[in-house]
Amino acid sequence: MHEFSVTQQIVQTVLEEAKKHDAKRVTSVHLIIGKLTFLGIDQIKFSYRLLVKGTIMEHSKLLIEHMEPTVNCASCGYEGPAKYMNDPSFHFSIPTLTCPKCSAQVTIKLGRECTIKNIGIVTNGEDGSAPPNDKGG
Amino acid sequence: MRKVIKSEEGESLDIELGADLLRENERIAEENKKFLKEHGVIAIDVMGSVGSGKTTLIEKLVQRLKGKYKLAALDGDLNTTIDADLIGRHGVESIQINTGKECHLDANLVRKALKEMDLDDIDLIFIENVGNLICPSDFALGSSKRIVVISVTEGPYMVLKHPLTFARADLVVINKIDLAGAMGVDPLEKDAKKVKPEVKVVKTCLKAGKGVDEVIKALDLPSLLK
Repeated sequence: MHEFSVTQQIVQTVLEEAKKHDAKRVTSVHLIIGKLTFLGIDQIKFSYRLLVKGTIMEHSKLLIEHMEPTVNCASCGYEGPAKYMNDPSFHFSIPTLTCPKCSAQVTIKLGRECTIKNIGIVTNGEDGSAPPNDKGG
Repeated sequence: MRKVIKSEEGESLDIELGADLLRENERIAEENKKFLKEHGVIAIDVMGSVGSGKTTLIEKLVQRLKGKYKLAALDGDLNTTIDADLIGRHGVESIQINTGKECHLDANLVRKALKEMDLDDIDLIFIENVGNLICPSDFALGSSKRIVVISVTEGPYMVLKHPLTFARADLVVINKIDLAGAMGVDPLEKDAKKVKPEVKVVKTCLKAGKGVDEVIKALDLPSLLK
């Protein structure tokens, strides 16, 4: 759902950041996508390849970390993976907000992100001129 | 002489960003909520599939509550003013938000609409989202509570099929119980509570006005409006 527009935002944000650092090209982009968002990884990868064409991101490596949910329980202090409802006959495994330890309702700490963690770039020189040892004088 | 470090041509850099793109909508939603609070207003947003009963729910709530609170409604749809007109005929300010092609409301659209309202003359705003059980879920609007409406005619597996949506609900309204028949309503209620133990569930036949008082009780408006 909405992967194309989210990926547009990702590409725009990376290009803006790369420009700030005077990048010649972007070599890598590391994303963290929470499993509790509606964002599909395959669709993001597909949209990314379309959107970076003709930009300095064109040959960049896209690394996507699919973040598992981490929940917090105020009742018993549990912090860790969410509890899942599993039904093999229906082929589902559904995350719930039930504490795996005490069954109270938990809050979500991780798993709802769409974060650009970091990017790798190759820069131009400070002012685009030849390196110091080529200068006359 | 000051030392200067310059990046050399062809130098590789690793830049930490940590930019969470879904945060932007969350940020605007939080601003909306704060803005409403400054004017003594709360908002309740209503999500659900097309035809589940969102507009009817808001109509019934408006009819019951307009004597007690100053009400208004924001209605989201791709186009037309049909739903805003339906609610507006009960004598409350009702603004339509037409999203064009977007399948959900977002905090920015709600912010635009709030600027058109005299909030000092309002206690409670109902926000009806676009008919869609999936996309609106990821976009907070600035409301104090979220109602998710499902109707039994959508079948017994709606909660299992949309757990992320039900994880965001404060109140689940199971509507059209008169049509439940052999399916019953209990499976939906049980699944909603498995996904989110503290969620409130109210069963309704909104067409006949059944369950509306229970919805009002479940919303606990006095605690929100104090």
